[in-house]
Amino acid sequence: MISFRHIVWVIVVLVSISGGGAFSATTNAVGKPLPSDAAPPSQQVLNGMTDAATTLDFFVGVYKRPGNVGGNSWSNVLSTPLVRLDKNFNLLPAAAKSWTASKDGLTWTFRLDRSLVWSDGTPLTADDFVATFRLGADPKHAWDFAWFFSIIKGWDDAVKGAIPVEQIGVRRGADPYTLVVTTTVAAPYLPGMMLYSPPLQAKALAQHGPFYNTDPKTSVSSGPYLLEEWTKDQRIVLAANPKYRGVKPYIQRVVLKFGDLKTEFQAYRANEVDVAANFSPADLQVIERDAPLRAQYHQGFGDFRTYYVGFDTSRPPFNDLKVRQAFSYAVDREGLIKNVIKRQGIAAYGFLMPGFPGSQNDALKGIQKYDPALAKKLLAEAGFPDGKGFPKLELWLRSERALGQAVGNAIAAMLKRNLGVEVEVSNRETKMFMDTLNAHRLPFYIVSYGMDFLDPANMLGIWLSGGRHAWKSERFDTLVKTASSMVGNADRRMTMFHEAEKILVSDVGFIPIYFVTPGFMWKPYLKGTALTADKIGVTAWHWPGWDGLSTLHESIYISKDVSKYRR
Amino acid sequence: MTARYLMGRVVGLVVALVTVSILAFLLMHAVPGGPFDETQSPLPPAAKANILRKYGLDQPLWVQYLRYVWHALHGDFGIPYQSPTETVLALIARVWSVTLPLGAIVVTISFTAGLALGILAALRHNTWLDNLLTSLATLGMTVPNFVIAIWLIYIFSVQLHWLPTGGWGEARLLIMPAVAYSLQPMAIVARYTRVAVLEALAGDYVRTALAKGLTPSRVVVRHVLRNALIPIVTLMGPMIPDLFTGSIFIEFTFRIPGLGKFFVTSIFQRDYPMIMATVLLVAFLWSVTYLLSDLLYVLIDPRVRVGERSR
Repeated sequence: MISFRHIVWVIVVLVSISGGGAFSATTNAVGKPLPSDAAPPSQQVLNGMTDAATTLDFFVGVYKRPGNVGGNSWSNVLSTPLVRLDKNFNLLPAAAKSWTASKDGLTWTFRLDRSLVWSDGTPLTADDFVATFRLGADPKHAWDFAWFFSIIKGWDDAVKGAIPVEQIGVRRGADPYTLVVTTTVAAPYLPGMMLYSPPLQAKALAQHGPFYNTDPKTSVSSGPYLLEEWTKDQRIVLAANPKYRGVKPYIQRVVLKFGDLKTEFQAYRANEVDVAANFSPADLQVIERDAPLRAQYHQGFGDFRTYYVGFDTSRPPFNDLKVRQAFSYAVDREGLIKNVIKRQGIAAYGFLMPGFPGSQNDALKGIQKYDPALAKKLLAEAGFPDGKGFPKLELWLRSERALGQAVGNAIAAMLKRNLGVEVEVSNRETKMFMDTLNAHRLPFYIVSYGMDFLDPANMLGIWLSGGRHAWKSERFDTLVKTASSMVGNADRRMTMFHEAEKILVSDVGFIPIYFVTPGFMWKPYLKGTALTADKIGVTAWHWPGWDGLSTLHESIYISKDVSKYRR
Repeated sequence: MTARYLMGRVVGLVVALVTVSILAFLLMHAVPGGPFDETQSPLPPAAKANILRKYGLDQPLWVQYLRYVWHALHGDFGIPYQSPTETVLALIARVWSVTLPLGAIVVTISFTAGLALGILAALRHNTWLDNLLTSLATLGMTVPNFVIAIWLIYIFSVQLHWLPTGGWGEARLLIMPAVAYSLQPMAIVARYTRVAVLEALAGDYVRTALAKGLTPSRVVVRHVLRNALIPIVTLMGPMIPDLFTGSIFIEFTFRIPGLGKFFVTSIFQRDYPMIMATVLLVAFLWSVTYLLSDLLYVLIDPRVRVGERSR
């Protein structure tokens, strides 16, 4: 007779035969089930190299965070910001589940995810975001990125010390999980700016000060990782945060070695780091000649960086449009790409790189182009036939390495050949360069700009008068300022930005040279959807990289192939 | 050698340090830029003023200098802008405790090997051995140490996987940096030793000693070396503070968390407390080195009396 016991036994046998596979899936140290081709949990370690750093947190110091290149920062991973970026640069809800703007566009209400907690068990609330923004505006903290949030009501006055930081337009709303941000003018791009909102814990800030995340003993995290170790000048070790309520990572440990990034590629070849982004011309040749290395090299957007020639248009000789036009027509950017820049950039005809919202590079091709005959004619019309009488120029570069210097020298040679103008290239130290540029005392230079957030208001905004450039156009100022704060009419807004960019290009406020397409390498044993092609076919790690502000860490894992490489 | 002489030297040291500190202070503030970053956008004046105020840079220069001296006399050399969670003294203690052992190893290797090879070359003057050692020494002096370093890494890390590309903490991580860093000082010491020994060997007293019946090795050790040592000490003395404060190239190339890089990064980052500290440290080390080597002359050469002629 079949008893209950028999039935139980049959069930047990059946389950172990068929269901055994599902029950034996490996999970990593924070309980995330690993894909079937993944290496064992102890091998889910990501090794990278970083420049010197003083903090992992954005609001403590933007320019002193770990990273190995402009497009890959290793920071902010101890935080969950309001929003994040995916690999197609779409804004995704993170700490904020949803957000709405008031009718006049001045007030934004962010509703926070109530399930998020800090690693000490306390909930992540609006008070943490408020404390963080107050720190950024605090004159005593003297934040190095304080220029960025001028759009927030009261921010500039607080930075000046004219009003207390408690009065800035970042407040808790009706409950602890509602954050209200008020702006000075309507800013439809504000959610995009809120990418830069990785919170610090109000409690830890009050107790230990802004550097609480440099010591595992005082560190507390609301992000996918915890600080396990920070040995100064040697390494940072991050471990996956078991209390994290967002998408847990596969990689359960990240080891960042401090080192000079010139040594990154050799560490990559010796399998000591898993990614590389810094290549000397010699390194590029090595990669070119080696098929496996070539296959690991991916071209990316980086931070949508534009390299351009700039002028002081307020003083002779560049106050004359004809002179600027002559110079522009004398530059053969296609030739530069072919012979000098090669895979490291694409020709630029405008200020916004293809892929950046509002970019119209192709449409602008006809305005600034290579036409040496026209260049000569215009320079002669300006009073300098064949360059006679033209003052000797110094073309300043900003701490450029091999490629930048080669570009500078090539352009100087083109100007000499096509216009008869004498140009001496001078590679200057960064702070000296910026000091002179910001004071509008720099006549002739090459510099770059990489975006801060994905909206034309950002990139075109740096050309507004009163910024770092000695160029002015009232129509441009009006168009950009109006479009930046335009709500509700996206098409009209974009049209205004297009018109503004066209003015900038037509008036030769700058000569666009190239958009940087930096190379990024990772070992073949790194896998995940983040590494597959995005909607325009780019596979490189997307800006901002392995950063709490991106979603890269959600899908990357180490596959079984790692055993062939690591020892 | 009197106590008065020593006192005089110490006073001289203090005067040197004060002069160096004033010059360094003026120079570093004369360079445009500051400990703020404007690579993307210029800072609004209020934000810049905040940063300058935070670091006390809004005061007149003489006030800043006097404040610095006052604090320094109390043992407070400020907080490095590059590492705001520790003091300058703590930072230097931390990184110098990495650079100093490496420097000591390099000094030991290069001086002993350099001396030995130099003496050997001099004693085997004009033989194939002498020519070989001289050629190697020339090579060692002319090839920059970071080129050697990169070659070592390429061969032993990238190709053979015998050693890691860099880092600090295990004994085997010292091998490549020590080799790369020692070759040039070793070559310099070897060449100068060879010349000094050859000159000493040409002296009349050597022929006398040999005629007296002393064995060549006795002659070399007891007489030749002591005479050769004076020019060698003159050379080796200043090499010590140089090697003890590290090479930025070696430390960068091998990812060694030492003092070397701070000499350069402090300037680029306008880290004023660290610039002052590194400059004063080097000035102090050099002054002490010159004093010690002067005293060493007295020990080596009984004819030398310090204090009779000012140096």
